[in-house]
Amino acid sequence: MFAFDIDDELEILIEVTRKLAAEKLLPTLREAEQHRAVDDSVREAFVEVGLAGLEIPESLGGAGLGSLSRVCLNEELAAADAGAALALDPLGPALYPILELGGEATLAELQAACEARPGSRAVLLCEAEDRDTAGSLSLEAAWVPADDVAAVVALGPEGCCWATDGIATRRVRGAGLRAAGASRLVVEGAPLRGAWRDPEGASRAWARSRLYVASLQLGVMRAACEFSRAYAQEREAFGRPIAHHQALAFLIIDMNMALEGARLLVHEAAWRADRGLPVAGEAAAALVECIEAARFIGPNGVQILGGHGFVQDYPVEKHMREARALGLLAGGLDLAVQEAGRHLCDREQPLALAHLASGGE
Amino acid sequence: MDFSIDRDTAAAVEAEREWGEKEMRPVGLEADREARPIPVDHPYFGRCLARGLGRTRWRRPGDGAASRGSVVRSMLLAEERAYWDRGVVVAEPGPGLPEGNVIAMGTEEQKERYLGPFLESDQPRWACFAMTEPGAGSDAAAIRTLARKDGDHWILNGAKCFIGGASRSDWILVQATLDPTQGRSAQRSFFVERGTPGLGGFKIEKKMGLKAYESTSFTLEDCRVPAANLLGGEERYERKAGFKGAMQTFNAGRPVIGAMAVGMGRAALDESLRFAREHDLLDRVRVRDRVEAMARTIRGARLVCLRAGWLAEQERPNVPEASMAKALGAQVCQEATGLGLELLGLAAGTGDHLIEKLYRDAKAMDIVEGTGQIQRVIMSRSLVGLKTR
Repeated sequence: MFAFDIDDELEILIEVTRKLAAEKLLPTLREAEQHRAVDDSVREAFVEVGLAGLEIPESLGGAGLGSLSRVCLNEELAAADAGAALALDPLGPALYPILELGGEATLAELQAACEARPGSRAVLLCEAEDRDTAGSLSLEAAWVPADDVAAVVALGPEGCCWATDGIATRRVRGAGLRAAGASRLVVEGAPLRGAWRDPEGASRAWARSRLYVASLQLGVMRAACEFSRAYAQEREAFGRPIAHHQALAFLIIDMNMALEGARLLVHEAAWRADRGLPVAGEAAAALVECIEAARFIGPNGVQILGGHGFVQDYPVEKHMREARALGLLAGGLDLAVQEAGRHLCDREQPLALAHLASGGE
Repeated sequence: MDFSIDRDTAAAVEAEREWGEKEMRPVGLEADREARPIPVDHPYFGRCLARGLGRTRWRRPGDGAASRGSVVRSMLLAEERAYWDRGVVVAEPGPGLPEGNVIAMGTEEQKERYLGPFLESDQPRWACFAMTEPGAGSDAAAIRTLARKDGDHWILNGAKCFIGGASRSDWILVQATLDPTQGRSAQRSFFVERGTPGLGGFKIEKKMGLKAYESTSFTLEDCRVPAANLLGGEERYERKAGFKGAMQTFNAGRPVIGAMAVGMGRAALDESLRFAREHDLLDRVRVRDRVEAMARTIRGARLVCLRAGWLAEQERPNVPEASMAKALGAQVCQEATGLGLELLGLAAGTGDHLIEKLYRDAKAMDIVEGTGQIQRVIMSRSLVGLKTR
C-alpha cells in the first residue's frame, strides 16, 4: 500500500551523499565549472563513501542498487552541482543500454574502456531512429557534456550499439554542466564493439536513462527553489521581506508545487522500474514533467533574486542554465512526449486508466 | 517507498467503480438535468442504506472503538466515487462532516443522542456542519454568529450559507462565537435540532454545478438550545482555554478534496479519450500531446494528494502539503475538464455532454474547503513565514 517514506538503508546513503555534496561539491562549483572537471580529491571521496558503481551489478564490483536509489542520490548530487554529478559517474546513463541489451560481459568491457583512461567517460546518445547495426558507427553530436569520451553508446527505439575507437571530440564552451566538460562529438566509421536489437531491453534502457536525467533536474530545481526561497525571506523591499509580498509568495509556492509533483512522478516510475513493471510511458512522462517544471523553476529562481540572480555571484543563474541543458539529454522533450502519448493513446483499453486505478500491481 | 494498492483496497475501489457506474452516474446526471438536489425520498438513498452507506463509524461503548481507518484508503475510494459523481457523494445520507468532531469532542450523551440514530439504517438521515457565513469563508476566525448564555440555555443569532444538506438534516452543528473580537478561542459548536424555534429561513441555492446536493443558507433568530447542546460540554472549555488547543497540525480533509478533484479529472480524461478515439482524433499530434499533458498532470496531482493524506495518516505535520494537494487537485481537474471541452468542439456547446457537466462541477473543487488562492496564503505561512494575522 502507498507509503512515502524512504527505506532506512537508502536514507543513510542519501545522508552520506548530501553531506558529500555540501562539503565537496557546493563550495567549489564555480571552480569545477571553470576547470571543466571535478577535483581528484572529490573523486576519491566519492569512491570512498561507496557511491561509485551504484547500479553496477555486484558481480562486477558495483553496489547492485536500482533506479530508486539512483534517482534519490542524483537529486542530492545535482542539488549541489549537476555537472559534477555527471563528471563523477563515468558510465552515466550509457550504463543502461549496455546492461539491458549487452549484458554483464559487455558492461565489463565498457567499464574497462573508461578505466583505461582516468577521467574519461562513456556518452549516451538517444536517437529517434534505430541505426543499421551492421558494420561501423558514424554520427555527429553538436554537444555532449564530456571532454574525454572513452565510449559512445547509441540507443534507438529498438536497439543499441557502441564503439570505443574512431571518436573525435572538439571542445565547445558548453551552455551548462561544464564541470562534466563540453564537446562536439564526431564518430566516423568507428568499428562496432557490439550491436543489439531487443525492443523490450531498449525500452527499459530508455526509461532508466530518462529517469537518470530527470532526477538530476530534480536536484537542480530543488536548489533553485531553496536558494530563491531563502533569499526572498531575507531581502527586503517596501518595508518587508520580498517573500511577504503575495506576488512573490505565490510564485515561490507554485515553484515548490511544480517540484513536488515532478519528484513524485520520478519516484513512482523508478519504483516501477525496480519491480520490473511496465515503465516506459511513466518514465517518459516523468521526464516531460521535469523539463516543464525546470522551464518554470529555473528562470523564476533568477527572477526572485532580480539583478543578483543575473550575476554569477549567486548560483541561480547556473541552475537556470543547467536545468535547461539537462532537458536536452536522454532524447529531450519531444521524444519523451511522443513516448508518453503513445503509451496513453495507443493502448488497447486506456479508458479506465488501469495503471492509475491500481498503481500497477 | 511503495506505490502499490493492496488487494483488499483494490477490490473495494472496484466495488465503488461498479456502484458508481450503475448508480451514481445516472442519479447525478438526473439531478443535473432536473436542476435540483436529489429529493429526500429518492429511491437512490434507500439503495445507499441497503448497501451499508449512511451510517456512523462511531460505536457505543463496549462495541469496539470507532475505526479511524486509513486516510490513503479513504482517499482512493473518494477519488473513485467522485469519478462517477462528486455531487452525489456529498448528497448521500450520513452524519457527514460533523461526525469526526462529535467523535473527537462530544460527550458520551451527545454521541448517543446525535450519532446513535446513525447506527441504524431504518431511514436515510443527514447531519451537517455550519461554519461558513455570508461574510466569513476560509477565514473561520471571522464568523459573526453569536452565542449568548441565558440560564441553562444558549441563544444563537446569525446567518449561515453554503451549508450542504442543511434543510434535510436531523441536526446541524452550528459554529458560533461568544465574542467576535476573540477569534477561534471564543468559538463553540452547538447542536441545533430540526424544528428548533428560531432556526429557519432555509434557502436552497441554485448552483452552476454539483446540483445533486443542496447548498443551503439559513438563519438563527434567538434560537434557544439547551446548555447540554454545547459540543463537548461546559467542562471541556473550563479545562481548556478554547478551541485552539484542539487544533491539529495535520489535516486529512483537504487531501480528500484533492483526491475527489483528481477523480473528476480522471473522468474528464477518460471521456476525452473516448471521444477522441470515436472521432479518430488520436492520431493528431496536437491532440495526443494535450491528452498526454492532461494525464501526466493528473497523475502528478494524484501522488501529491496521496502523499499529503499519507502524512495525515501517520499523524505527521502536513499543513502545507495538504493545501498543496487541495490546490493542485482542483487545478488539474479544471484544466482537464476545460481541455475536454476543446476536444469536443461545438459538440460541447449543446450542454448535454458529461464533460460539460464536469466542467461546471469542477469549478467548485477550487472553491470548497478554501480556494486555490487561500490555500496559497496558508502555504505562504509555512513556506515563507508570511504573517496573516
